Amino acid sequence: MLSRRLLLLSALVSLCLGFGAHGTELPSPPSVWFKAKFFQHILHWVPIPNPSENTSYEVALMRYGSRLWKTIPSCSQALELSCDLTNFTLDLYHSNGYRAKVRAIDGSQHSNWTLTKTRFTLDEVTLTVDGVTLEALNGYIFGTIHLPGSQVAPEGNTYQDIFEYFRTYTIAFRKVPERTFKIKMVNRENFSLSFPGEVGEFCVKVMPNVESRANKAEWSEEQCLHLTKQYFTVTNLSIIFTSILLFSGALVCLALQLYVRRRGKLPAVLIFEKTSPFFLVNFPCPDTYNTIHILDLVTFQKVSPELKDSDLHGSTDSGFGSGKPSLQTEKPQFLLPGPHPQTQEALGKGEPPELQDSHSDGSSDSTDSGICLQEPSLHPSTRPTWEQQVVGTSQGQDDSGIGLVPNSEGQPEHTKSGSHLGHVSLLGPAVPEEEAPAVVAVQGYLKQTRYTEDMTNPTGCLEEEVSLIDAFDPKLRTCLQAESDWPSLALAKGYLKQDTPGMTLVPTGTPGEHWNQLPEEWPLLVLPSCEDPNTVSWSFAHDPAPLDCVAAPGGLLGSFDSNLVALPLISSLHTED
Amino acid sequence: MVLRLGHHFHQDMKAQCISHCLLGMTLILYSVHTHSLRRCLISVDMRLIEKSFHEIKRALQNKDTFQNVTILSTLQSLKTIKPIDVCCVTKNLLTFYKDRVFKDHQELSPQILRNISNIANSFLYMQRALQQCGQRWCQCSQEAINATRIVHDNYNQLEVRSAALKSLGELDIFLAWIDKNHQETSAT
Repeated sequence: MLSRRLLLLSALVSLCLGFGAHGTELPSPPSVWFKAKFFQHILHWVPIPNPSENTSYEVALMRYGSRLWKTIPSCSQALELSCDLTNFTLDLYHSNGYRAKVRAIDGSQHSNWTLTKTRFTLDEVTLTVDGVTLEALNGYIFGTIHLPGSQVAPEGNTYQDIFEYFRTYTIAFRKVPERTFKIKMVNRENFSLSFPGEVGEFCVKVMPNVESRANKAEWSEEQCLHLTKQYFTVTNLSIIFTSILLFSGALVCLALQLYVRRRGKLPAVLIFEKTSPFFLVNFPCPDTYNTIHILDLVTFQKVSPELKDSDLHGSTDSGFGSGKPSLQTEKPQFLLPGPHPQTQEALGKGEPPELQDSHSDGSSDSTDSGICLQEPSLHPSTRPTWEQQVVGTSQGQDDSGIGLVPNSEGQPEHTKSGSHLGHVSLLGPAVPEEEAPAVVAVQGYLKQTRYTEDMTNPTGCLEEEVSLIDAFDPKLRTCLQAESDWPSLALAKGYLKQDTPGMTLVPTGTPGEHWNQLPEEWPLLVLPSCEDPNTVSWSFAHDPAPLDCVAAPGGLLGSFDSNLVALPLISSLHTED
Repeated sequence: MVLRLGHHFHQDMKAQCISHCLLGMTLILYSVHTHSLRRCLISVDMRLIEKSFHEIKRALQNKDTFQNVTILSTLQSLKTIKPIDVCCVTKNLLTFYKDRVFKDHQELSPQILRNISNIANSFLYMQRALQQCGQRWCQCSQEAINATRIVHDNYNQLEVRSAALKSLGELDIFLAWIDKNHQETSAT
């Protein structure tokens, strides 16, 4: 009896165990854990071994300390191995944590619960950043760290609110294609990296940290940036702009200076406003050489042919050092009225000895081949007598200056001789000897020639002078005066300014350096010298019609030697009574 | 008659003045007291304690089989404790862990035992700092006393080893509460 009762009891027990085993046959998930980021609370679990197609999982959640488990129906999906519990754990960052459990269900079977090993708290949230923005500027890389955010997070639960203090960031950067990173710690969301003088691609990644907590963290995605040499930086642009301003300023100053020089006063050598002491000292001119007397053409033709063919015309007269005798040394054939004493005073005093000698001869030995120009307004009818003046040869002529008379008519006939002296004298019409010497306002300038003893054969010069007379206004009176009558100052540069308003000369050639020594206030009246390539051509700055000779190369004035002291006097046609 | 009325008026004025002065003194003392705890715990490196606990948290909490029971979480008063009671509650809880939890826990793993020892030593340092800094201001109110009693009652409901294990597993709650109360002072 007892054995039968024991057998029945064991059978019952086995049946009960069998039923129980059948209810828990289904294995439970091996492991359940939370994997969380900022407001991304995901529950993960490992599936049961050999699950069927109908195997599903049930998730339950409990707030630590509440003793009530809450089943999450949205997580009971088939074949799902994770579940987002963010919406059910929004107060995680202000609570003591949550506990979660998962079990498998297959039809009527269900497994045991598997709990999370640790209490799900704020300490288990992995710190991350949303990303980093890089910007390159002047060899620097400026980065901005973007903190994570969530739309489901309640108000006042930003990253900065929850982790308010001790936020730090680890910056790792490298230069492509290197693999080694360099580390830099910052405690702000904005940082800068310096790469002076480097170019290339640089990559940066960031890992957040909270020093007061032991939370794990993850690196952000690597952001790369290409650094290139910036030529148009602020510094470079400012330097370029400053240099442009300085350069333009220099150009403006230079232009102004050139403008002033060009439009300024005439060179000093062309200005004869006042007497230069230099002239007075070095170029004693006869006092009477301030008038120009127009020679009589008829009388002029009587000039010895020798004068026409004299070397005077063929000389390369620069006015200085000519070996040939000046025409002024010849006996004048056309005598002009003697100089007015006032004129003598005006033109200065002091005559060189050679000039004085020539002056005593009645200007016959005068080396002055210049022309005394008469202002038309003063003595329009005065026709001083002309004396044939022997103009020295070009070699003896030092004066290459030419005095031009305004209102000249026609063109001067260029002599065939082609005087190189440049001291073409404008001879007015012959004036009677008995005519009283007229003190006329000289127009233009008086040509000064150096007196030489060997002044012969003035014919050529006279002939040339006659031809030139035709081109000028009748009012123009030229004269060849004795060298002694020329004022000294007129010899200085070969020309004395005559008071002729509106008369300016525009040299077309290059007068030479020595012209610069002339006083600037001495305007010139230039007689063109034709066929004289070595002389400077001058032209009037106003009408009448320009002379043909003006455009001739070389012009009237020959190249002056530096020895201006030896300028020959322009022999005046003025005869001394 | 008039003199008596004036005399009474002056007495009333004096009483009001005295009451106002006492109230002001109380407020001043209260603010000083609340700040005293924070100043006292500035020198404590909470970061070191939290790091030590983090290394053993998984092992300790994994062994806790009584998920439905808590010792400190039921203490809603931890969040509702008044600033004036922070000093008393902090001191009482430090004493609780030193006298009961650390002594009742039996740990076999050397690594876990080392970390528990570090935490225990840090709690001793905190307790001395509180005693030297603000002991005379650390008066326990009835609410503070009641909060401490609840913790002890919860601890007593469990088996000693389980209770000790659970209490060690809830150290993060206690450390977070301390960190919150003196975090503003240490951050500045």
